[in-house]
Amino acid sequence: METSVLCRLNSAVEKYGDKIAYKDPENSLTFRQFNELTRSIGTYLARLVPAGAPVVVMSGRHIFTPACFLGAVRAGCFYAPMDGDMPVTRLNQILGVIKADFMLVDKAHLEIAQGLEFRGTIIVMEDIIDYPANDELLEQREKTLICTSPLYVIFTSGSTGVPKGVITSHQSLMTYIDSVSKVLDINDTDVLGNQSPLDYIAAIRDIYFPISRGASTFVIPKNEFAVPTALFETLNREKITALCWSVAGVELPAKLGAFDVLKPEYLKKLCFSGSVMPCKYLKIWQENLPDVLYVNQYGPTEATASCTYYVVKEKVDDDTVLPIGTPYDNYKVTLLTEDNKPVANGETGEICVSGPILALGYYGNAGYTEKAFIQNPLNSNYRELIYRTGDLGSFDENGILHFHGRMDRQIKHLGHRIELGEIEEAARKIDGVVDCCSLYNKPKEHLYLFYTGDATSKDIVLSFRKNMPAFMVPRKLVNLDKLPTLPNGKIDMQTLKTYFK
Amino acid sequence: MMDELMEILEELRPDVDFANETKLITDGILDSFDIVALVGELNDAFDIEIKPNNLVPDNFNSAKAMLALIEELQDE
Repeated sequence: METSVLCRLNSAVEKYGDKIAYKDPENSLTFRQFNELTRSIGTYLARLVPAGAPVVVMSGRHIFTPACFLGAVRAGCFYAPMDGDMPVTRLNQILGVIKADFMLVDKAHLEIAQGLEFRGTIIVMEDIIDYPANDELLEQREKTLICTSPLYVIFTSGSTGVPKGVITSHQSLMTYIDSVSKVLDINDTDVLGNQSPLDYIAAIRDIYFPISRGASTFVIPKNEFAVPTALFETLNREKITALCWSVAGVELPAKLGAFDVLKPEYLKKLCFSGSVMPCKYLKIWQENLPDVLYVNQYGPTEATASCTYYVVKEKVDDDTVLPIGTPYDNYKVTLLTEDNKPVANGETGEICVSGPILALGYYGNAGYTEKAFIQNPLNSNYRELIYRTGDLGSFDENGILHFHGRMDRQIKHLGHRIELGEIEEAARKIDGVVDCCSLYNKPKEHLYLFYTGDATSKDIVLSFRKNMPAFMVPRKLVNLDKLPTLPNGKIDMQTLKTYFK
Repeated sequence: MMDELMEILEELRPDVDFANETKLITDGILDSFDIVALVGELNDAFDIEIKPNNLVPDNFNSAKAMLALIEELQDE
Protein backbone atom coordinates (compact mmCIF):
# COMPACT_ATOMS: atom_id res chain seq x y z
CA MET A 1 0.00 0.00 0.00
CA GLU A 2 1.28 3.44 -0.86
CA THR A 3 2.37 5.55 2.10
CA SER A 4 2.03 8.95 0.39
CA VAL A 5 1.45 10.68 -2.94
CA LEU A 6 5.25 10.74 -3.29
CA CYS A 7 5.16 6.99 -4.12
CA ARG A 8 3.02 7.96 -7.12
CA LEU A 9 5.25 10.79 -8.16
CA ASN A 10 8.32 8.53 -7.94
CA SER A 11 6.82 5.83 -10.15
CA ALA A 12 5.35 8.34 -12.60
CA VAL A 13 8.81 9.81 -13.14
CA GLU A 14 10.23 6.35 -13.90
CA LYS A 15 7.44 5.48 -16.27
CA TYR A 16 6.79 8.83 -17.99
CA GLY A 17 10.07 10.76 -17.48
CA ASP A 18 10.07 12.97 -20.58
CA LYS A 19 6.34 13.19 -21.17
CA ILE A 20 4.67 16.54 -20.41
CA ALA A 21 3.05 16.53 -16.98
CA TYR A 22 1.92 20.17 -16.64
CA LYS A 23 1.64 22.95 -19.15
CA ASP A 24 0.43 26.57 -19.21
CA PRO A 25 0.61 29.20 -21.97
CA GLU A 26 4.18 30.16 -21.01
CA ASN A 27 5.85 26.97 -19.81
CA SER A 28 5.70 23.21 -19.73
CA LEU A 29 7.24 20.68 -17.35
CA THR A 30 7.97 17.03 -18.05
CA PHE A 31 7.48 14.55 -15.23
CA ARG A 32 11.26 14.57 -14.70
CA GLN A 33 11.54 18.36 -14.64
CA PHE A 34 8.55 18.62 -12.34
CA ASN A 35 10.05 16.05 -10.01
CA GLU A 36 13.41 17.83 -9.93
CA LEU A 37 11.62 21.04 -8.97
CA THR A 38 9.85 19.32 -6.09
CA ARG A 39 13.19 17.87 -4.94
CA SER A 40 14.91 21.25 -4.96
CA ILE A 41 12.05 22.97 -3.18
CA GLY A 42 11.72 19.99 -0.82
CA THR A 43 15.40 19.98 0.13
CA TYR A 44 15.43 23.71 0.77
CA LEU A 45 12.31 23.51 2.93
CA ALA A 46 13.51 20.39 4.78
CA ARG A 47 16.57 22.30 6.00
CA LEU A 48 14.32 24.91 7.61
CA VAL A 49 10.92 23.42 8.35
CA PRO A 50 10.27 20.50 10.71
CA ALA A 51 8.51 17.47 9.21
CA GLY A 52 4.75 17.50 9.75
CA ALA A 53 4.47 21.31 9.80
CA PRO A 54 2.16 23.39 7.59
CA VAL A 55 3.64 25.41 4.70
CA VAL A 56 1.42 28.16 3.30
CA VAL A 57 1.73 28.39 -0.50
CA MET A 58 0.67 31.62 -2.22
CA SER A 59 1.52 31.28 -5.88
CA GLY A 60 -0.20 32.20 -9.12
CA ARG A 61 -2.11 30.40 -11.82
CA HIS A 62 0.86 28.60 -13.42
CA ILE A 63 2.50 25.18 -13.40
CA PHE A 64 5.12 26.02 -10.78
CA THR A 65 2.36 26.15 -8.18
CA PRO A 66 1.77 22.36 -8.12
CA ALA A 67 5.56 22.01 -7.84
CA CYS A 68 5.42 24.18 -4.69
CA PHE A 69 2.68 21.95 -3.27
CA LEU A 70 4.59 18.73 -3.91
CA GLY A 71 7.85 20.39 -2.83
CA ALA A 72 6.31 20.99 0.59
CA VAL A 73 5.25 17.34 0.67
CA ARG A 74 8.80 16.24 -0.24
CA ALA A 75 9.90 18.07 2.91
CA GLY A 76 7.52 15.87 4.93
CA CYS A 77 5.15 18.83 5.38
CA PHE A 78 1.62 19.61 4.24
CA TYR A 79 0.54 22.62 2.24
CA ALA A 80 -2.13 25.26 2.76
CA PRO A 81 -2.75 27.01 -0.56
CA MET A 82 -3.94 30.63 -0.62
CA ASP A 83 -5.20 32.62 -3.60
CA GLY A 84 -3.17 35.84 -3.61
CA ASP A 85 -5.96 37.63 -5.48
CA MET A 86 -8.17 37.37 -2.42
CA PRO A 87 -8.51 40.45 -0.24
CA VAL A 88 -5.89 40.95 2.46
CA THR A 89 -8.48 40.58 5.25
CA ARG A 90 -9.36 37.12 4.00
CA LEU A 91 -5.73 36.06 3.66
CA ASN A 92 -5.05 37.24 7.22
CA GLN A 93 -8.01 35.22 8.48
CA ILE A 94 -6.58 32.09 6.86
CA LEU A 95 -3.14 32.79 8.32
CA GLY A 96 -4.75 33.22 11.72
CA VAL A 97 -6.20 29.71 11.51
CA ILE A 98 -3.22 27.86 10.05
CA LYS A 99 -0.57 29.63 12.20
CA ALA A 100 2.27 28.50 9.93
CA ASP A 101 5.89 29.58 10.37
CA PHE A 102 6.75 29.32 6.68
CA MET A 103 5.20 30.72 3.54
CA LEU A 104 6.29 29.80 0.02
CA VAL A 105 5.40 32.42 -2.60
CA ASP A 106 6.19 33.17 -6.22
CA LYS A 107 7.88 36.49 -6.97
CA ALA A 108 4.64 38.03 -8.20
CA HIS A 109 3.07 37.54 -4.76
CA LEU A 110 6.04 38.58 -2.61
CA GLU A 111 4.83 42.11 -2.06
CA ILE A 112 1.36 40.95 -1.04
CA ALA A 113 2.90 38.39 1.32
CA GLN A 114 5.06 41.06 2.96
CA GLY A 115 1.97 43.16 3.65
CA LEU A 116 0.15 40.38 5.52
CA GLU A 117 -0.08 39.73 9.25
CA PHE A 118 2.60 37.05 9.06
CA ARG A 119 5.62 36.92 11.36
CA GLY A 120 7.20 33.75 9.91
CA THR A 121 9.71 33.23 7.10
CA ILE A 122 8.75 34.02 3.51
CA ILE A 123 10.54 31.95 0.87
CA VAL A 124 10.47 32.95 -2.81
CA MET A 125 10.02 29.95 -5.09
CA GLU A 126 12.12 31.42 -7.94
CA ASP A 127 15.09 31.71 -5.58
CA ILE A 128 15.18 28.02 -4.69
CA ILE A 129 14.19 26.13 -7.86
CA ASP A 130 17.83 25.33 -8.60
CA TYR A 131 18.74 24.45 -5.04
CA PRO A 132 20.81 21.22 -5.01
CA ALA A 133 18.64 18.28 -3.96
CA ASN A 134 19.83 16.13 -1.10
CA ASP A 135 18.81 12.48 -1.58
CA GLU A 136 19.46 11.45 1.99
CA LEU A 137 17.44 14.27 3.53
CA LEU A 138 14.55 13.79 1.09
CA GLU A 139 14.45 10.08 1.79
CA GLN A 140 14.38 10.73 5.53
CA ARG A 141 11.49 13.13 5.13
CA GLU A 142 9.57 10.81 2.80
CA LYS A 143 9.81 8.10 5.45
CA THR A 144 8.09 10.36 8.02
CA LEU A 145 4.91 10.32 5.92
CA ILE A 146 2.20 7.70 6.43
CA CYS A 147 -1.00 7.44 4.47
CA THR A 148 -3.00 9.19 7.18
CA SER A 149 -0.62 12.18 7.33
CA PRO A 150 -2.20 15.46 6.25
CA LEU A 151 -1.55 16.35 2.62
CA TYR A 152 -3.21 19.76 2.40
CA VAL A 153 -5.54 22.15 4.22
CA ILE A 154 -8.07 23.90 1.98
CA PHE A 155 -10.24 26.72 3.28
CA THR A 156 -13.98 27.02 2.83
CA SER A 157 -16.65 29.47 4.02
CA GLY A 158 -17.55 29.30 7.73
CA SER A 159 -20.89 30.55 9.07
CA THR A 160 -19.29 32.41 12.01
CA GLY A 161 -17.29 34.61 9.63
CA VAL A 162 -13.97 32.77 9.88
CA PRO A 163 -13.02 30.35 7.07
CA LYS A 164 -12.70 26.67 8.01
CA GLY A 165 -9.58 24.71 7.02
CA VAL A 166 -10.49 21.21 5.86
CA ILE A 167 -7.55 18.79 6.33
CA THR A 168 -7.20 16.01 3.75
CA SER A 169 -4.85 13.04 4.17
CA HIS A 170 -2.73 11.32 1.53
CA GLN A 171 -4.95 8.26 1.82
CA SER A 172 -8.17 10.22 1.25
CA LEU A 173 -6.77 11.96 -1.79
CA MET A 174 -5.43 8.75 -3.33
CA THR A 175 -8.68 6.89 -2.65
CA TYR A 176 -10.71 9.55 -4.40
CA ILE A 177 -8.31 9.91 -7.33
CA ASP A 178 -8.39 6.14 -7.92
CA SER A 179 -12.17 5.95 -7.71
CA VAL A 180 -12.83 8.89 -10.02
CA SER A 181 -10.14 7.72 -12.47
CA LYS A 182 -12.00 4.46 -12.77
CA VAL A 183 -15.31 6.16 -13.57
CA LEU A 184 -13.77 8.58 -16.08
CA ASP A 185 -11.21 6.05 -17.35
CA ILE A 186 -8.39 8.57 -16.98
CA ASN A 187 -5.18 7.27 -18.52
CA ASP A 188 -1.88 8.45 -19.99
CA THR A 189 -3.50 9.54 -23.27
CA ASP A 190 -5.63 12.12 -21.47
CA VAL A 191 -5.01 15.85 -21.44
CA LEU A 192 -6.89 17.71 -18.71
CA GLY A 193 -7.96 21.35 -19.10
CA ASN A 194 -7.78 22.96 -15.67
CA GLN A 195 -10.50 25.51 -14.85
CA SER A 196 -10.54 25.61 -11.06
CA PRO A 197 -8.21 27.98 -9.20
CA LEU A 198 -5.23 25.85 -8.14
CA ASP A 199 -5.77 26.60 -4.46
CA TYR A 200 -9.35 25.35 -4.62
CA ILE A 201 -10.54 21.84 -3.89
CA ALA A 202 -11.82 21.21 -7.43
CA ALA A 203 -8.25 21.43 -8.79
CA ILE A 204 -7.09 18.25 -7.04
CA ARG A 205 -7.91 16.11 -10.09
CA ASP A 206 -5.99 18.38 -12.44
CA ILE A 207 -3.02 18.29 -10.05
CA TYR A 208 -3.06 14.58 -9.17
CA PHE A 209 -4.22 12.84 -12.40
CA PRO A 210 -0.79 13.42 -13.98
CA ILE A 211 1.21 11.84 -11.17
CA SER A 212 -1.39 9.11 -10.53
CA ARG A 213 -2.35 8.16 -14.09
CA GLY A 214 0.30 9.61 -16.39
CA ALA A 215 -2.11 12.18 -17.85
CA SER A 216 -1.12 15.78 -18.68
CA THR A 217 -2.76 18.94 -17.40
CA PHE A 218 -3.03 22.27 -19.19
CA VAL A 219 -3.73 25.28 -16.98
CA ILE A 220 -6.19 27.50 -18.92
CA PRO A 221 -5.70 31.26 -18.33
CA LYS A 222 -8.49 32.72 -16.22
CA ASN A 223 -9.53 35.48 -18.63
CA GLU A 224 -10.24 32.97 -21.42
CA PHE A 225 -13.38 32.05 -19.52
CA ALA A 226 -14.67 35.55 -20.32
CA VAL A 227 -13.95 34.96 -24.03
CA PRO A 228 -15.69 31.67 -24.84
CA THR A 229 -14.39 31.30 -28.40
CA ALA A 230 -10.80 31.70 -27.17
CA LEU A 231 -11.56 29.07 -24.55
CA PHE A 232 -12.70 26.50 -27.12
CA GLU A 233 -9.78 27.39 -29.40
CA THR A 234 -7.46 26.58 -26.51
CA LEU A 235 -9.19 23.24 -25.88
CA ASN A 236 -8.59 22.37 -29.53
CA ARG A 237 -5.03 23.70 -29.76
CA GLU A 238 -4.00 21.73 -26.67
CA LYS A 239 -6.03 18.67 -27.77
CA ILE A 240 -7.78 18.53 -24.43
CA THR A 241 -9.66 15.27 -23.82
CA ALA A 242 -11.01 15.59 -20.28
CA LEU A 243 -12.52 18.39 -18.23
CA CYS A 244 -13.30 18.31 -14.52
CA TRP A 245 -15.05 21.65 -14.11
CA SER A 246 -17.44 23.36 -11.76
CA VAL A 247 -21.03 23.51 -12.98
CA ALA A 248 -20.59 27.29 -13.26
CA GLY A 249 -17.62 26.74 -15.61
CA VAL A 250 -19.56 24.29 -17.79
CA GLU A 251 -22.49 26.71 -18.04
CA LEU A 252 -20.37 29.62 -19.25
CA PRO A 253 -19.61 28.60 -22.85
CA ALA A 254 -23.16 27.31 -23.29
CA LYS A 255 -24.64 30.55 -21.93
CA LEU A 256 -22.42 32.72 -24.11
CA GLY A 257 -23.12 30.73 -27.27
CA ALA A 258 -19.61 29.40 -27.91
CA PHE A 259 -20.94 26.30 -29.69
CA ASP A 260 -22.36 28.54 -32.43
CA VAL A 261 -18.80 29.30 -33.44
CA LEU A 262 -16.79 26.13 -32.84
CA LYS A 263 -16.67 22.88 -30.89
CA PRO A 264 -14.07 21.19 -28.71
CA GLU A 265 -12.92 18.51 -31.17
CA TYR A 266 -10.93 16.26 -28.85
CA LEU A 267 -13.12 16.20 -25.77
CA LYS A 268 -14.11 12.72 -24.51
CA LYS A 269 -14.96 13.20 -20.84
CA LEU A 270 -16.65 15.96 -18.88
CA CYS A 271 -17.10 15.69 -15.13
CA PHE A 272 -18.97 18.53 -13.43
CA SER A 273 -19.55 19.22 -9.76
CA GLY A 274 -20.02 21.96 -7.21
CA SER A 275 -23.72 22.69 -7.62
CA VAL A 276 -26.90 21.46 -9.30
CA MET A 277 -26.51 21.42 -13.10
CA PRO A 278 -29.22 23.40 -14.91
CA CYS A 279 -29.92 20.92 -17.71
CA LYS A 280 -30.78 23.54 -20.33
CA TYR A 281 -27.01 24.13 -20.51
CA LEU A 282 -26.01 20.48 -20.33
CA LYS A 283 -28.45 19.88 -23.20
CA ILE A 284 -26.45 22.28 -25.37
CA TRP A 285 -23.26 20.34 -24.61
CA GLN A 286 -24.98 17.02 -25.33
CA GLU A 287 -26.44 18.21 -28.63
CA ASN A 288 -23.08 19.45 -29.83
CA LEU A 289 -20.93 16.69 -28.36
CA PRO A 290 -23.13 13.58 -28.20
CA ASP A 291 -20.25 11.11 -27.73
CA VAL A 292 -18.72 12.72 -24.66
CA LEU A 293 -19.01 10.90 -21.31
CA TYR A 294 -20.90 13.23 -18.95
CA VAL A 295 -20.55 12.64 -15.22
CA ASN A 296 -22.40 14.52 -12.49
CA GLN A 297 -20.40 14.42 -9.27
CA TYR A 298 -21.69 15.27 -5.83
CA GLY A 299 -19.77 15.67 -2.62
CA PRO A 300 -18.44 18.02 0.06
CA THR A 301 -14.85 19.16 0.62
CA GLU A 302 -14.96 17.20 3.88
CA ALA A 303 -15.16 13.91 1.93
CA THR A 304 -12.37 14.86 -0.48
CA ALA A 305 -14.84 16.89 -2.56
CA SER A 306 -16.74 13.82 -3.58
CA CYS A 307 -19.21 11.20 -2.52
CA THR A 308 -21.40 9.97 -5.36
CA TYR A 309 -21.45 10.17 -9.15
CA TYR A 310 -23.99 9.75 -11.92
CA VAL A 311 -23.13 8.90 -15.51
CA VAL A 312 -25.60 10.81 -17.69
CA LYS A 313 -26.70 8.26 -20.28
CA GLU A 314 -30.05 9.85 -21.14
CA LYS A 315 -30.54 12.89 -23.39
CA VAL A 316 -31.52 15.65 -21.00
CA ASP A 317 -34.28 18.24 -21.42
CA ASP A 318 -34.43 21.79 -20.09
CA ASP A 319 -36.23 20.66 -16.96
CA THR A 320 -34.38 17.38 -16.29
CA VAL A 321 -33.09 17.10 -12.72
CA LEU A 322 -30.06 14.84 -12.62
CA PRO A 323 -29.72 12.33 -9.80
CA ILE A 324 -26.43 12.38 -7.86
CA GLY A 325 -26.14 8.66 -8.40
CA THR A 326 -24.19 6.01 -6.54
CA PRO A 327 -21.21 6.14 -4.18
CA TYR A 328 -17.71 5.98 -5.60
CA ASP A 329 -15.62 2.91 -4.62
CA ASN A 330 -14.62 3.10 -0.95
CA TYR A 331 -17.40 5.55 -0.08
CA LYS A 332 -20.34 4.63 2.11
CA VAL A 333 -23.50 6.74 2.15
CA THR A 334 -26.04 6.60 4.98
CA LEU A 335 -29.24 8.63 5.20
CA LEU A 336 -30.27 9.70 8.67
CA THR A 337 -33.46 11.25 9.99
CA GLU A 338 -33.34 14.32 12.24
CA ASP A 339 -33.34 12.08 15.33
CA ASN A 340 -30.45 9.95 14.02
CA LYS A 341 -32.55 6.99 12.86
CA PRO A 342 -32.28 5.24 9.50
CA VAL A 343 -34.76 6.61 6.95
CA ALA A 344 -37.59 4.43 5.68
CA ASN A 345 -37.35 3.17 2.07
CA GLY A 346 -37.46 6.06 -0.37
CA GLU A 347 -37.68 8.68 2.37
CA THR A 348 -35.53 11.79 2.51
CA GLY A 349 -32.77 12.14 5.11
CA GLU A 350 -29.46 13.87 5.74
CA ILE A 351 -26.70 12.51 3.51
CA CYS A 352 -23.91 11.16 5.72
CA VAL A 353 -20.69 9.75 4.32
CA SER A 354 -18.01 7.49 5.73
CA GLY A 355 -14.86 5.77 4.52
CA PRO A 356 -11.16 6.45 4.05
CA ILE A 357 -12.04 9.66 2.21
CA LEU A 358 -13.16 11.51 5.34
CA ALA A 359 -11.19 14.64 6.14
CA LEU A 360 -9.07 14.71 9.29
CA GLY A 361 -11.34 17.53 10.49
CA TYR A 362 -11.11 21.32 10.61
CA TYR A 363 -7.65 22.65 11.29
CA GLY A 364 -7.21 23.85 14.86
CA ASN A 365 -10.94 23.61 15.55
CA ALA A 366 -11.85 20.55 17.61
CA GLY A 367 -15.29 21.98 18.39
CA TYR A 368 -16.44 22.20 14.77
CA THR A 369 -14.77 18.88 13.98
CA GLU A 370 -16.62 17.02 16.73
CA LYS A 371 -19.93 18.44 15.64
CA ALA A 372 -19.58 17.53 11.96
CA PHE A 373 -17.66 14.23 12.18
CA ILE A 374 -19.52 11.92 14.54
CA GLN A 375 -19.79 8.25 15.44
CA ASN A 376 -22.32 6.61 13.13
CA PRO A 377 -25.40 6.55 15.39
CA LEU A 378 -26.52 3.31 13.71
CA ASN A 379 -23.33 1.52 14.81
CA SER A 380 -22.85 0.75 18.49
CA ASN A 381 -20.28 -2.01 17.97
CA TYR A 382 -17.14 -0.36 16.63
CA ARG A 383 -15.73 3.04 15.80
CA GLU A 384 -17.08 4.37 12.53
CA LEU A 385 -16.94 8.10 11.90
CA ILE A 386 -19.41 9.70 9.51
CA TYR A 387 -19.52 13.24 8.16
CA ARG A 388 -22.88 14.95 8.27
CA THR A 389 -23.07 16.87 5.00
CA GLY A 390 -26.11 19.00 5.88
CA ASP A 391 -27.45 17.98 2.43
CA LEU A 392 -30.75 16.16 2.01
CA GLY A 393 -31.16 13.14 -0.23
CA SER A 394 -33.24 10.04 -0.94
CA PHE A 395 -32.57 6.70 -2.60
CA ASP A 396 -34.96 5.57 -5.33
CA GLU A 397 -35.98 1.94 -5.94
CA ASN A 398 -32.84 1.38 -8.04
CA GLY A 399 -30.53 2.57 -5.28
CA ILE A 400 -29.81 5.86 -7.06
CA LEU A 401 -29.36 8.86 -4.79
CA HIS A 402 -31.30 12.09 -5.47
CA PHE A 403 -30.40 15.50 -4.04
CA HIS A 404 -33.02 17.62 -2.25
CA GLY A 405 -31.17 20.75 -1.13
CA ARG A 406 -29.68 21.97 2.13
CA MET A 407 -30.77 21.70 5.75
CA ASP A 408 -29.15 25.04 6.61
CA ARG A 409 -28.28 28.35 4.97
CA GLN A 410 -25.33 27.15 2.92
CA ILE A 411 -25.59 27.89 -0.79
CA LYS A 412 -23.60 27.21 -3.95
CA HIS A 413 -22.91 30.32 -6.01
CA LEU A 414 -20.64 30.56 -9.06
CA GLY A 415 -19.19 27.16 -8.15
CA HIS A 416 -18.30 28.16 -4.60
CA ARG A 417 -19.76 27.12 -1.29
CA ILE A 418 -20.98 30.06 0.77
CA GLU A 419 -22.56 30.35 4.21
CA LEU A 420 -25.12 33.17 3.99
CA GLY A 421 -24.34 33.80 7.67
CA GLU A 422 -20.79 34.74 6.70
CA ILE A 423 -22.08 37.37 4.25
CA GLU A 424 -24.22 38.85 7.03
CA GLU A 425 -21.32 38.85 9.50
CA ALA A 426 -19.22 40.77 6.99
CA ALA A 427 -22.04 43.25 6.23
CA ARG A 428 -22.70 43.99 9.92
CA LYS A 429 -19.11 45.17 10.31
CA ILE A 430 -19.69 47.95 7.76
CA ASP A 431 -20.38 51.45 9.11
CA GLY A 432 -23.97 52.42 8.35
CA VAL A 433 -25.32 48.87 8.26
CA VAL A 434 -27.62 48.26 11.21
CA ASP A 435 -29.25 44.93 10.45
CA CYS A 436 -29.21 42.70 7.42
CA CYS A 437 -30.22 39.42 5.84
CA SER A 438 -28.56 37.71 2.90
CA LEU A 439 -30.59 35.48 0.58
CA TYR A 440 -29.95 33.72 -2.70
CA ASN A 441 -32.14 34.01 -5.79
CA LYS A 442 -31.14 30.69 -7.29
CA PRO A 443 -32.91 30.89 -10.69
CA LYS A 444 -31.19 34.21 -11.42
CA GLU A 445 -27.98 33.41 -9.53
CA HIS A 446 -28.20 36.71 -7.65
CA LEU A 447 -26.76 37.03 -4.17
CA TYR A 448 -28.95 39.53 -2.27
CA LEU A 449 -28.26 41.63 0.78
CA PHE A 450 -31.27 43.27 2.43
CA TYR A 451 -30.16 45.83 4.98
CA THR A 452 -31.21 48.71 7.20
CA GLY A 453 -29.08 51.77 7.95
CA ASP A 454 -27.77 54.69 5.96
CA ALA A 455 -24.87 52.97 4.13
CA THR A 456 -25.14 53.29 0.34
CA SER A 457 -24.99 50.19 -1.82
CA LYS A 458 -21.68 51.49 -3.15
CA ASP A 459 -20.23 51.66 0.39
CA ILE A 460 -21.24 48.07 0.96
CA VAL A 461 -19.93 46.67 -2.32
CA LEU A 462 -16.64 48.51 -1.90
CA SER A 463 -16.20 47.08 1.58
CA PHE A 464 -16.97 43.56 0.34
CA ARG A 465 -14.57 43.92 -2.58
CA LYS A 466 -11.89 44.93 -0.09
CA ASN A 467 -12.50 42.19 2.45
CA MET A 468 -14.11 39.17 0.80
CA PRO A 469 -13.50 36.90 -2.20
CA ALA A 470 -15.22 38.15 -5.37
CA PHE A 471 -17.77 35.31 -5.40
CA MET A 472 -19.00 36.44 -1.95
CA VAL A 473 -19.85 40.02 -3.01
CA PRO A 474 -23.66 40.55 -3.06
CA ARG A 475 -24.91 41.42 -6.56
CA LYS A 476 -28.16 43.01 -5.46
CA LEU A 477 -28.44 45.35 -2.48
CA VAL A 478 -31.80 46.42 -1.10
CA ASN A 479 -32.04 49.13 1.54
CA LEU A 480 -35.13 48.78 3.76
CA ASP A 481 -36.51 50.89 6.62
CA LYS A 482 -37.07 47.74 8.59
CA LEU A 483 -36.51 44.02 7.96
CA PRO A 484 -39.82 42.10 8.03
CA THR A 485 -40.11 39.82 11.06
CA LEU A 486 -42.10 36.76 12.09
CA PRO A 487 -44.19 36.74 15.31
CA ASN A 488 -41.23 35.20 17.17
CA GLY A 489 -39.05 38.17 16.20
CA LYS A 490 -36.91 36.27 13.67
CA ILE A 491 -36.37 37.74 10.23
CA ASP A 492 -39.12 36.73 7.80
CA MET A 493 -37.05 35.36 4.92
CA GLN A 494 -40.07 34.22 2.90
CA THR A 495 -41.37 37.78 2.72
CA LEU A 496 -37.91 39.04 1.77
CA LYS A 497 -37.81 36.53 -1.07
CA THR A 498 -40.87 38.18 -2.59
CA TYR A 499 -38.70 41.30 -3.02
CA PHE A 500 -36.45 39.49 -5.52
CA LYS A 501 -36.53 41.29 -8.87
CA MET B 1 -26.95 56.03 -24.17
CA MET B 2 -23.57 56.34 -22.48
CA ASP B 3 -25.32 57.38 -19.26
CA GLU B 4 -27.49 54.30 -19.30
CA LEU B 5 -24.47 52.10 -19.97
CA MET B 6 -22.51 53.71 -17.14
CA GLU B 7 -25.43 53.17 -14.80
CA ILE B 8 -25.49 49.45 -15.62
CA LEU B 9 -21.73 49.15 -15.22
CA GLU B 10 -21.75 51.12 -11.98
CA GLU B 11 -24.40 48.85 -10.51
CA LEU B 12 -22.54 45.74 -11.61
CA ARG B 13 -19.18 46.74 -10.19
CA PRO B 14 -19.23 49.99 -8.16
CA ASP B 15 -15.56 49.42 -7.30
CA VAL B 16 -14.36 49.87 -10.89
CA ASP B 17 -13.51 53.21 -12.51
CA PHE B 18 -15.29 52.62 -15.81
CA ALA B 19 -14.73 56.18 -17.02
CA ASN B 20 -10.98 55.64 -17.21
CA GLU B 21 -10.20 51.92 -17.36
CA THR B 22 -9.13 50.70 -20.80
CA LYS B 23 -8.04 47.14 -20.00
CA LEU B 24 -11.07 45.73 -18.21
CA ILE B 25 -10.71 42.28 -19.75
CA THR B 26 -7.01 42.17 -20.55
CA ASP B 27 -6.15 43.00 -16.93
CA GLY B 28 -8.81 40.68 -15.56
CA ILE B 29 -10.74 43.49 -13.81
CA LEU B 30 -13.99 42.01 -15.11
CA ASP B 31 -14.12 38.23 -14.73
CA SER B 32 -16.12 35.67 -16.65
CA PHE B 33 -19.08 35.91 -14.25
CA ASP B 34 -19.20 39.69 -14.62
CA ILE B 35 -19.30 39.22 -18.39
CA VAL B 36 -22.17 36.75 -18.24
CA ALA B 37 -24.18 39.16 -16.05
CA LEU B 38 -23.24 42.13 -18.22
CA VAL B 39 -24.14 40.47 -21.53
CA GLY B 40 -27.63 39.67 -20.19
CA GLU B 41 -28.18 43.21 -18.94
CA LEU B 42 -26.91 44.88 -22.13
CA ASN B 43 -29.04 42.62 -24.33
CA ASP B 44 -32.13 43.54 -22.33
CA ALA B 45 -31.42 47.24 -21.88
CA PHE B 46 -30.44 48.03 -25.48
CA ASP B 47 -32.48 45.39 -27.28
CA ILE B 48 -29.46 43.83 -28.95
CA GLU B 49 -28.07 40.33 -29.19
CA ILE B 50 -24.42 40.04 -28.30
CA LYS B 51 -23.00 37.03 -30.14
CA PRO B 52 -20.07 34.86 -29.02
CA ASN B 53 -17.93 36.40 -31.77
CA ASN B 54 -18.49 39.81 -30.16
CA LEU B 55 -17.05 38.52 -26.89
CA VAL B 56 -13.47 39.55 -27.49
CA PRO B 57 -11.38 41.76 -25.18
CA ASP B 58 -11.39 44.67 -27.69
CA ASN B 59 -15.15 45.06 -27.36
CA PHE B 60 -15.21 45.06 -23.55
CA ASN B 61 -11.94 46.60 -22.47
CA SER B 62 -13.52 50.01 -21.88
CA ALA B 63 -16.94 51.61 -21.53
CA LYS B 64 -16.29 53.43 -24.80
CA ALA B 65 -15.63 50.15 -26.63
CA MET B 66 -18.81 48.67 -25.20
CA LEU B 67 -20.80 51.66 -26.40
CA ALA B 68 -19.35 51.26 -29.90
CA LEU B 69 -20.34 47.59 -29.87
CA ILE B 70 -23.88 48.42 -28.73
CA GLU B 71 -24.27 51.02 -31.50
CA GLU B 72 -22.92 48.61 -34.09
CA LEU B 73 -25.35 45.88 -33.03
CA GLN B 74 -28.29 48.29 -32.95
CA ASP B 75 -27.60 49.26 -36.56
CA GLU B 76 -27.84 45.66 -37.70
